[in-house]
Amino acid sequence: MQFRLEKRAEISRSMLYFTPVAAVLLTMIMGAIIFTILGFNGAVAVREIFLTPLTNSLKWQDLAVKSAPLIIIAVGLSIGFRANVWNIGAEGQYIAGGLAATGVALITHQMSGWWLLPLMGVAGILGGMAWVAVPAFLRVKLNVNEILTTLMLTYVAVQLLNFLVFGPWKSPTSFGQPQTVLFNNDQILPYIIPGTIVQAGAPIAIFIAIFAWVLMSKSIFGFQIRTVGTAPNAARYGGFSANQTIWFSLLIGGGLAGFAGMLEVAGPFNRMVPQFPTNYGFTAIIVAFLGRLHPVGVMVAGIVLAISFVGGEIAQTTIGLPNAAVGLFQALMLFLILAGDILVRYRIKRVGQKSEVSSS
Amino acid sequence: MPDNAPNRLELNGITKQFPGVLANDTVSFNIAPGEIHALLGENGAGKSTLVKMIYGIMKSDAGSMVWDGEPFEVSNPKEARAKGIGMVFQHFSLFEALTVLENIALGMDGSLSLKELETKVVEVMQAYGLTLQPDRMVSSLSVGERQRIEIVRALLLNPKLLIMDEPTSVLTPQEVKQLFTTLRQLASEGCSILYISHKLNEIKELCHNATILRGGKVVGECNPAEETSKSMAEMMIGGSLKEISKGETNIFGDVLLNVGSLSLAKSHDFGTALKDISFEVRQGEIFGVAGVAGNGQNELLAVLSGEALAKGEDDIILHGKSIGHFGPNHRRKVGLCCVPEERNGHAAVSDFSLSDNAILTARHRKNLVKTGMILNGPSVAYADEIIKKFGVMATGSRANAGSLSGGNLQKFIMGREILQVPEVLVVSQPTWGVDAGAAAFIHQALVDMAQAGSAIVVISQDLDELLALCETISVINEGTLSKAMEVKGISIDEVGLLMGGVHGANNVDQANDIDKEVSNAVQA
Repeated sequence: MQFRLEKRAEISRSMLYFTPVAAVLLTMIMGAIIFTILGFNGAVAVREIFLTPLTNSLKWQDLAVKSAPLIIIAVGLSIGFRANVWNIGAEGQYIAGGLAATGVALITHQMSGWWLLPLMGVAGILGGMAWVAVPAFLRVKLNVNEILTTLMLTYVAVQLLNFLVFGPWKSPTSFGQPQTVLFNNDQILPYIIPGTIVQAGAPIAIFIAIFAWVLMSKSIFGFQIRTVGTAPNAARYGGFSANQTIWFSLLIGGGLAGFAGMLEVAGPFNRMVPQFPTNYGFTAIIVAFLGRLHPVGVMVAGIVLAISFVGGEIAQTTIGLPNAAVGLFQALMLFLILAGDILVRYRIKRVGQKSEVSSS
Repeated sequence: MPDNAPNRLELNGITKQFPGVLANDTVSFNIAPGEIHALLGENGAGKSTLVKMIYGIMKSDAGSMVWDGEPFEVSNPKEARAKGIGMVFQHFSLFEALTVLENIALGMDGSLSLKELETKVVEVMQAYGLTLQPDRMVSSLSVGERQRIEIVRALLLNPKLLIMDEPTSVLTPQEVKQLFTTLRQLASEGCSILYISHKLNEIKELCHNATILRGGKVVGECNPAEETSKSMAEMMIGGSLKEISKGETNIFGDVLLNVGSLSLAKSHDFGTALKDISFEVRQGEIFGVAGVAGNGQNELLAVLSGEALAKGEDDIILHGKSIGHFGPNHRRKVGLCCVPEERNGHAAVSDFSLSDNAILTARHRKNLVKTGMILNGPSVAYADEIIKKFGVMATGSRANAGSLSGGNLQKFIMGREILQVPEVLVVSQPTWGVDAGAAAFIHQALVDMAQAGSAIVVISQDLDELLALCETISVINEGTLSKAMEVKGISIDEVGLLMGGVHGANNVDQANDIDKEVSNAVQA
């Protein structure tokens, strides 16, 4: 008996929602098997990573803190991905945004006022945009593949970060530690729930996701993005410029990644340190795909990936799982989501033995 | 040739189905040894699919082949070459940075030293009068010389059947003459040649027999020498090219669309450059552009719709306003709407709802967008209006465009543009692949629109359609547009010959030189 993939006349709605769920479940099963083979208790590892963060209410605030930047970056990326513009260097734009916000914070360190945080936010957005403007320019003018340029600029951003915190921005009072001075009180995000570590990033993430939802579904801009991504010829016929779409979608992705960088540096970090890059920019790619490039889906997916981050930390302390385990789970998840996508456009058909003589 | 010799190749009921289209429908014909057999048909008639099956690139769904009296089945081109089948493709596969000899060596199945190969290559070239220097870089060669490499490559296998796919589409007239000499010599030595073309004068000149394909089916067999170009064009285009009766000539109004000296470079390798195209269309007039596919129709539509910009802003003038430099949105706003040939993915987005597809082109003229936000109510209302007035069979404005049949989607697309009431409407293949009922409806809608005062350009391969609809037609061939001719009292011979490419080969584009061309073609 043979099986063959047959193209569906229309994409399958049910598969569209089923495959991400199936991917998460399969990730757990395969993860359990892999860690059992590696000599851990696989079932416990999966429970610690995926369930404990949900059952232990003390961990909920960690989820809010971790999911906020993931959601903000993934919303921006999903807009670009919808237009078939593949910005995979959000990590670099996140760093650039954090550095720009830090720069403003250092310049205004002796000042005070409510306007400091908004100014740092604007700087973060502009920093991320500036970082992605290079790939956008190269793509539009010279048709250079943005997948390569955005990724490569990420490593440039890391080097720039190291240069600044080891060099000109190093705090004179840090006893040689590579870090900037602590931001002043007006440069640090307020806590919104008293007694927790939840800062303003969480509600901002929700607001951004809802705004993006309206933008993508109700505005002509969202229509343009969807048309360019789905049917480039029809988009040109409809009068939508492909180059303009590339610019807009990259600037939005870069701007939001930069903004997330500002929220992180002004939030959990309170200063710029070499440990600032935490792979949020890369994980957000998984969030965007798991969320089916839909802002509401991205919110759910952001929480799922935050669970894996928080759970990974738990598993490290409770059963001594290596830190890389989380990366393994996340990569497995992305792989399975992308692999499952084929079922959205194709169905598996059983082929009788007699119909085809040979297919080799 | 002796009567009792088996045919070189017999095709019996070859059928090939692609999703949604029957590319070959029980195709049968025979090729004798030493015969030059033409396979004639428009683009999309199924010629290429058929030869790909003979050459082992594709596998037929049904039917059988017989080679020299024996059942024949090949599953890849290497096996086909081993049987003695050579093929020269329309587009060459050569490495520019290598020499002629190195390119030939790369294409050989067996292993020969370069020295031995060179000796053989020189032999073959001398035997067939092909001039080529084996050590020249391919990048420095003309298109005709590159084709010779492919021919030498095929001849080294001592082929019994040589397949030539549209070999003259890229050659100068002199190169064509040279090629024909080589092919005749090959045939006289017993090699069969399957010659694929839609150029009638070449086939009359070269081929012993012709099989005519239309819509994947064999619609005729003939001896080209005994046929006229007109009769073969009729078989190729479909149906008889009947004279149709039209009412009294309308009184036309102002010139609404004026295209002058419009040229456009090729956008890609397989495209056609537009050369010095000029025509004008008046209020109430339907202007037809006839021609065999692939002669610049898509490029003409793109440059009229604004998807490609004209070089000069005065190249396209809409009711006195220069619009050559306007993009699609701007052109629609000032009153020029277009419908491209391809429905799915160009004129409409299959994955989008009908109301979203209405927004695609009607958002400005129908005010479906305000301050950047889509107005859902008006968009749905406009889609519903199109569905109602154009009798579109759909579950509603929420239905995906991809769920509609070709005819219904085409009615929706035509309705979307016509109900915007543009001053000028340009449509390409308005009834291509559309059922007869929908086609008649679309034709009537176009006639009504012209009577209401618009100017319409219809680009079509269906000559009957153009003769029924248009007051004026002109023929596009290899990117050049012939002089406009009034349909009333038009000679079908003229149009058929212009479409078949006689005027391209003779480099004459004046319709009043046609008589001379007819006699040329007959002599040839």
